[in-house]
Amino acid sequence: MTKRLAVASTALVLLVPLAACGADPGPAADPAAEEEPGYLAVADTSLEGTGTLRVHLDYDTAEAAGLDPRSADVARSWSLMGLSYDTLVEVGPDFEFLPSLAESWRTPDPTTYVFTLRDDAVFSNGRPMTARDVRRSLEHLLESESTWAAQLGPVESVEETGEHEVTVRLEHPHTAFLGALANTPAGILPMEEVDGGSVDLTAEMVGTGPYVATEHIQDESWTFEVNEHYWGEPPAVERLEISIVADEFNRAAALRDGSADFAYFNNIDTLDQLEAEPAARVVFQENTDFYYLILNSANPGSPLADDRVRFAVNAAVDRNQLSELALGGHARPTGVAPATLPDACPAGELPSALLDDDEIAEILEEAGVTEVELSLVTFNSETAPGQIAQVVQQQLAGHGLSVDIDIVDDASFGAALYSGSTATDDMGVSWYAGYGDASMVSRWWNTDTAAFTADFMVGDPAVNDLVVQAGRTPRGPEREAVIADLCAAVDERSEVVPLVTRPSVIGYRTDAVSPTLHSVEGYGDILRNITDFRLVSS
Amino acid sequence: MRILTWLPGRLLGAAVVLVGASALIFAAVRFLPGDYAQIVLGPLASAQEREALRTEFGFDRTVGEQYLLWLGQAVTGNFGHSLASGQPVAGELAARLPVTALLTAMAVVWTVVIGVPLGILAGTRTGTTRSTAAGRLVSSLGVSVPDYVLAAVVVFALSSLPLGPSVGAVGAPAQDLGGTLLALLPPSLVLAVFTIAATARATRDAVLNVLVEPHVSAAVARGETRLFIITHHVLRNAAVPVLTLTGTITAMLLGGAVIVESVFDVSGLGSYLVQGLGRRDYPVIQTCVLLATTVFVLMSLIVDVVTGLLDPRVAVSGRSR
Amino acid sequence: MKDTATESTTRPRNPVRGALASFDALTLTCAGVLALLTLAAVAGPLAGVGGDPTAIVGPRLAPPSAEYPLGTDSLGRSLLPRVIEGVGTTLVVSAVAVLCTAVISTAGGIVAGYHGGAVNGVVMRIGDVLYAFPAIILAILVASVVGPGRTAALVSIVLVTVPLMTRMVGAAARLVCVRDYVTAARISGVSAPRIMVRHVLTNVSGTVAVQTTYALSVAILVEGGLSFLGYGVQLPASSLGLLIQEGTVYMVKAPWALLAPSVILVLAIVAINVIGDSLRDRFEPRKARSL
Repeated sequence: MTKRLAVASTALVLLVPLAACGADPGPAADPAAEEEPGYLAVADTSLEGTGTLRVHLDYDTAEAAGLDPRSADVARSWSLMGLSYDTLVEVGPDFEFLPSLAESWRTPDPTTYVFTLRDDAVFSNGRPMTARDVRRSLEHLLESESTWAAQLGPVESVEETGEHEVTVRLEHPHTAFLGALANTPAGILPMEEVDGGSVDLTAEMVGTGPYVATEHIQDESWTFEVNEHYWGEPPAVERLEISIVADEFNRAAALRDGSADFAYFNNIDTLDQLEAEPAARVVFQENTDFYYLILNSANPGSPLADDRVRFAVNAAVDRNQLSELALGGHARPTGVAPATLPDACPAGELPSALLDDDEIAEILEEAGVTEVELSLVTFNSETAPGQIAQVVQQQLAGHGLSVDIDIVDDASFGAALYSGSTATDDMGVSWYAGYGDASMVSRWWNTDTAAFTADFMVGDPAVNDLVVQAGRTPRGPEREAVIADLCAAVDERSEVVPLVTRPSVIGYRTDAVSPTLHSVEGYGDILRNITDFRLVSS
Repeated sequence: MRILTWLPGRLLGAAVVLVGASALIFAAVRFLPGDYAQIVLGPLASAQEREALRTEFGFDRTVGEQYLLWLGQAVTGNFGHSLASGQPVAGELAARLPVTALLTAMAVVWTVVIGVPLGILAGTRTGTTRSTAAGRLVSSLGVSVPDYVLAAVVVFALSSLPLGPSVGAVGAPAQDLGGTLLALLPPSLVLAVFTIAATARATRDAVLNVLVEPHVSAAVARGETRLFIITHHVLRNAAVPVLTLTGTITAMLLGGAVIVESVFDVSGLGSYLVQGLGRRDYPVIQTCVLLATTVFVLMSLIVDVVTGLLDPRVAVSGRSR
Repeated sequence: MKDTATESTTRPRNPVRGALASFDALTLTCAGVLALLTLAAVAGPLAGVGGDPTAIVGPRLAPPSAEYPLGTDSLGRSLLPRVIEGVGTTLVVSAVAVLCTAVISTAGGIVAGYHGGAVNGVVMRIGDVLYAFPAIILAILVASVVGPGRTAALVSIVLVTVPLMTRMVGAAARLVCVRDYVTAARISGVSAPRIMVRHVLTNVSGTVAVQTTYALSVAILVEGGLSFLGYGVQLPASSLGLLIQEGTVYMVKAPWALLAPSVILVLAIVAINVIGDSLRDRFEPRKARSL
């Protein structure tokens, strides 16, 4: 008996290498290769299957305002709520804007947008959408004073100017206006029912979108079924079974064993781990999101309160090496305008990139900083931030700066850096969503409006002015110049240092689904083109 | 009945332990850095928004006030609402408890069905030095392999074999009992590895203890068969220590379920607790831990009562435990 | 019964005479394994075996080779020095924690056992409160409050191991305290502390030794579990649990990264448990053994 047990235990220990050997990685296609310009994958329209798609996501929506999209903060909320709510416009593969609930729009002057609405959009309760719903939805968003209300910009008025026409007037030009309208928080809501009190937005989703949520168990699952009133082509995916699976490893296992058709991954190495699976195709999607390094300028006791030291530390960080070591070379060095968006600034030309090691040493010596220990805090719910922290640590060690790293859970990380009182940690690593226009994320560098940064950022009026300018200048060469100045100014201040973009990994089973995926995503919405997905069989 | 003399004191002790544990957990979660307002509002929110939400959750009251309020409700079965979902914790628990109960029950079955015979065998078999050494090694190995390693390896191995879903396939036991049992087979076995080995070791010791008793020697001298000695003398006398251990580890399995449920993506009590901890969902954490401690205390109590009935001599030490 | 365990009961030995020679080959082998691991953990870093454990030197997740005998991790650090450092961290953290446990539990157990009654009740109830908590939850709570790191691991291990050990020492102490010679000492006016040290402590030392050994194996498991969940020793430092956690993430692509630390961890715990069993067979007369 004992012998048998011993054999069993040995077998288990041996399973690890054996199983790995069994999966011999064949020649794999480049996971970042595009099937069509702007698209990592384009659904095969010859497939005629209909039915259920099983999706595994990493976390569930959990917002203070429940299911009301206007204050939704995180990408999963945008994806999930976006299944039920449509927006006026949509973002295309090159970050151009495409019609959605707005059939067309014109801008007679830079502060006026006239939207012509579809006349066939119907809410999932059967009531046709009206111009009033659109006006009230935008007002509802603006009233919330949420993050997204701020992104929507300086809206002066929203008026119903026709049966199917709504006109928005801005106080001043706001380049990111359409970019903000294109995200789920600006979704069009059944405001007649909401105002009448028969629909509680925090508890239910009644939208014009392709799907209706039929079941939700917090942190476990969602079931969406097709909205019979949907105005577009009936989607091939008639039912979405979404599982919330926190562990990356389990999502990979589910994709391998076929219990998931489509899954999202954070860890860039999942790519390599799944390549060996013949039925799974793994693609690597670029995002406009990017990692940043906080160099705390708000704590007077820190060596980083000295502008020169921060700039030297920034210069000591090698973004290319960072991408290679921490993100398998899949991330792009970036300035404050995401490298993956139009009008971005070349990271290689930033002032800090032009400094050599001797110059860095000189600055540190001049500032009297030779042997200091800096604390760095980051979070452990994703792999990359900890990896980035360790590479930064090694890079700074090369300049005589030692770094003490704490990798804590999300709540502790929030308490360390965003508590509302001056942060005591010298550095922090996290990421910002990059959104759909180069000027949007730069708002977080304007200390006049981004109050939450006060814990670790003193700010600079010149930077604030440039942020405002970048927000008002229309896309094109003129704004490119403003953004280049902004990138340089942010880089020189080195308070919150943009590092590299944040890629993600999407895996799907080719024997189940043929999806349409953008090469670059601005809102982390991996289900963006769900209505175009094709299923292999029913 | 002797039992009546110590049972009231034991019950009082159990109540004290429960109140102590609930106070400890209540204070501990509030010492954790960050809170749910921070988590749900994210970094971009203003300090005012966070304060407003904290007031809504009642975090502005003193901890003592919050505790008494919670305890008062908990006694009536109202454990508050989950901050994350807004649903009553009692309801969410009720949905998840059957899965964990089933998982634990299966692990207990493996433990008793495999661990006890293994221990008896190890205790009664006169083997060579080499086989004894192998037995000691294997039983040590069982209590040495960390469940998180074993679980991860099993998940990977299962997902690589054409056996169907390896993780997350656990549904509601009420709807599909057979399917749930099948899906819980691997995690329950992983969970049971430690307890099987621990039980086998304890059983072996208990058996060896009994074997040196005079009445067993007498039975051997009388020429009774080995099987008869084992079933009539050894088992009866070894039952008490084995029972004690089984009770204790059953309660401990709930703690083990935390890791195993996380790795196997089982929606039970353990994963609920881990999610609650990450979110700083105070009512969820408090209720889960209170439940786990209650089960533990109840199990110890039951074990003491049963041992007290089986063997009145133990009652005295039972009280001191 | 040729089991060494039974031998010791039929032929009770003086614990002090428990010289190395009287342990069986398996126990000695296990002690050798532990000594070897300790030696590697001490001498390895001193001799610079494998280089700097935190230096990013090679390709990511490279398989074992002449240059990197255990392969490299996800940041391209050589795993050999990291495993060596990890063994050291795990052993030191566990050993220090268990030492604290031994002191606290022995003191608590003896005091409770000596006084009995209300004192015993209070000590045991405090232990019960801690014991009733699922160990890993207790550890996570402590680590979150203290902040992840060595201290957190240490405190967690102490809190997890103290209740059981106090209970065991307390039970043993009570058995000693009702013996005639203790009663005699009491009656003849010997002070309580003196009795506790001279009579009780010397007589429960066997239990303490055995329980300390078991606590050490639990400590290593807890340290591993904590690090696995991200609450233990912080990167870029290394511990066996941390290496195992990283190993499971890259298990498919780089199984070697999981295998080496897991095998060593299991080896260490098995060795400690076998030694604990031997010690118990030696020190605790079978009849007094309690579960």
